Amino acid sequence: MAKFRMALNKDDSPDRWEAQLRKGALEMAALASLWKGRLYGLEIIRFLETSSRLVLAEGTIYPILNRLKNDGLLASEWVEAEAGHPRKYYSLTASGRERLREMAEAWSEFSQGLSRLLEPVLQEKEMTQ
Amino acid sequence: MTAPTIVDTYLADLRAALGPMTLDTREEIVREIAAHIRDSADEYGDDASSVIARLGPAEELAAEYRDGLLIRRASRSISPITLLRASARLATKGISGVVVFFVGMFGYLIGGGLVLSALLKPVFPANTGVWFQDGRMISSGTQLFPPPPPAHEVLGMWYVPLMLVLGSLTLLVTSTIIRISLRVSKRWQLRLGRLSHAG
Repeated sequence: MAKFRMALNKDDSPDRWEAQLRKGALEMAALASLWKGRLYGLEIIRFLETSSRLVLAEGTIYPILNRLKNDGLLASEWVEAEAGHPRKYYSLTASGRERLREMAEAWSEFSQGLSRLLEPVLQEKEMTQ
Repeated sequence: MTAPTIVDTYLADLRAALGPMTLDTREEIVREIAAHIRDSADEYGDDASSVIARLGPAEELAAEYRDGLLIRRASRSISPITLLRASARLATKGISGVVVFFVGMFGYLIGGGLVLSALLKPVFPANTGVWFQDGRMISSGTQLFPPPPPAHEVLGMWYVPLMLVLGSLTLLVTSTIIRISLRVSKRWQLRLGRLSHAG
């Protein structure tokens, strides 16, 4: 799988579409990163990087977490850490888990459909190479 | 380790740019970003200025927070000002937002006009009303020069309650349309994130 890069500059037009696409998937990705347990912001960023190669501008994730929390999909708590300062940990609420399940199903259906659609495009590319 | 002045300045900028949120919300955001700067700097052995560069300008970060709040608050509000502000924000993000904004403007202007006209009826009774001539309506509202006879005004003082109800209904329907659009866009945003990028 190709390693994607988030375009920092929104006027960076060739990457704009891809940036939008990736950003759109980000809320689902943030929810999914918490499926197995609570994490704090930086851990979520690292987790997304290592597990899905989703490289984010660091400031991107926090407003999204804030919004998901306001929507009742996430809960948060401050936990004292060895680092000497508390960290804000996020976890999925019951409705967050439910919503993530729905999103995962919709996403999987959607992406399978699109993959079928794009098959001939990718095949042709292979043939011309 | 870190250069505290850069961090302090950044956090102060962020706090200022977060603006009209409650104190608690604002401080919690600032606290979380402060923790992030420390953790990220420690993890990479970076100085704070590199972390701040990766975070992006404080104003842009704050704008992402504010957008979420504005649209969330508006989808529960009936205040025309809040709703129009939210739909104006939506209008920067795509054609459907522009449509919602103009429908909103149009609805509020008409509704407001009807209510205003109802209130003007007691003040300018001869200039305000609904005029009929030859069995069909030829004019309505508050007119500087009301149609001359044989046109005649048909509602009299019934104009006031009728236009108040009609105007209020128009305002209410407009608010409902905007709220539904904001909710739909919020759900849409949650699924596909079209709105999550500040325009």
